[in-house]
Amino acid sequence: MSKIVANGIRMHYQRMPPKNRPGTFSTMCDPGADPPVVVFVHGLAIDSLASFYLTLAPPVAAAGIDAIAYDLRGHGHSEKPSHGYRVGDFVADLDGLLDALGVHQPVHLVGNSFGGTVAFGYAAAHPDRVASVVSIEAEPPTEPWAERMRVMMAAVVEDLAEEGVFTRIAEKFGAHHARLAAAGLDRLKSATMIEDIPTGPLLDRDGLSAIRCPVLSILGSAGFQQDDLGALERALPNCRTEVLAGQHHSVLVESHRTVRDLLLRWVGEHAQSGAGVR
Amino acid sequence: MTDETATVVEVPVLDVVSGIVREILGEYDVDDVEITMDTTFHEDLQLESIDLVVLAGRLQEHYGDPVNLAEFLADKELDEVIALTVGELVRFVASRG
Repeated sequence: MSKIVANGIRMHYQRMPPKNRPGTFSTMCDPGADPPVVVFVHGLAIDSLASFYLTLAPPVAAAGIDAIAYDLRGHGHSEKPSHGYRVGDFVADLDGLLDALGVHQPVHLVGNSFGGTVAFGYAAAHPDRVASVVSIEAEPPTEPWAERMRVMMAAVVEDLAEEGVFTRIAEKFGAHHARLAAAGLDRLKSATMIEDIPTGPLLDRDGLSAIRCPVLSILGSAGFQQDDLGALERALPNCRTEVLAGQHHSVLVESHRTVRDLLLRWVGEHAQSGAGVR
Repeated sequence: MTDETATVVEVPVLDVVSGIVREILGEYDVDDVEITMDTTFHEDLQLESIDLVVLAGRLQEHYGDPVNLAEFLADKELDEVIALTVGELVRFVASRG
């Protein structure tokens, strides 16, 4: 298991080196130029780097891209401090991770759900280090987002406190989902995530306009942003939206092949000249 | 349940896979469980997807780069990953060995 200390936290990461098959990004790069780098940022509570490692990372590496996935603090096999779960802490971890891994070229951040929020926070704070953001069912850390997170996390904790709830989940969705729900609840409650996450720091209108890099927002038509699928595109200076019909919030795992194709096309369009596709 | 049996080629692979899985299970303080070709990772062994990442790393260390579990699983649907059996994994490893 690969671990590295970043921002004072012991982080679990997986790096899949780019394949050098003919026709891939690495072989199309100028000699001496580094291939594009994609960094995957997973979602909250029940999520881990596995969501990307077992779906998008292998085909991305096979396409000649340097693929990095890591467990957020408090998740997977990364260290789980008892406090320190503001969006800013996750942003600082990502910055520390890129330094620790020696990644100095602008990267393509691919964030799922809360991972996308971290990616937006990072793009606002470190615009020079981000080539683009691919946001999957995600939105930037703003006051309306924070309020929704407060409500949603409180509802999850309340719902899962009901007697016999995990038995009912097991009967309806299977034992696997019941275990995931129980583990996710433990994770949320064992540290200060519920209190910390909505505190940001949050971006106002000026903060959003600081996210100047190209953004691809992939949404399920029945996902968390179904009430206004165009909101993000209007709020950001350089955002394109792809809506996957009939999909819900779990679009990454439900439609990973479609997301993969969108991502590979996107990186191809936005490969930095310095990271040089001819 | 099909009561699948391992072939001569697959028996040593099953042995290695079982050993690695037991090491991972050791972290969960799980009672000793029988691991056969029919055993499922999620339902029977209660492994999470992050455990499959660790398993992938250990298999690659043991068998080398051709045994890339992440690539193998990235071709599957979520339901197939959840229903993955030890036998499917053993056959995959044996086919690359």
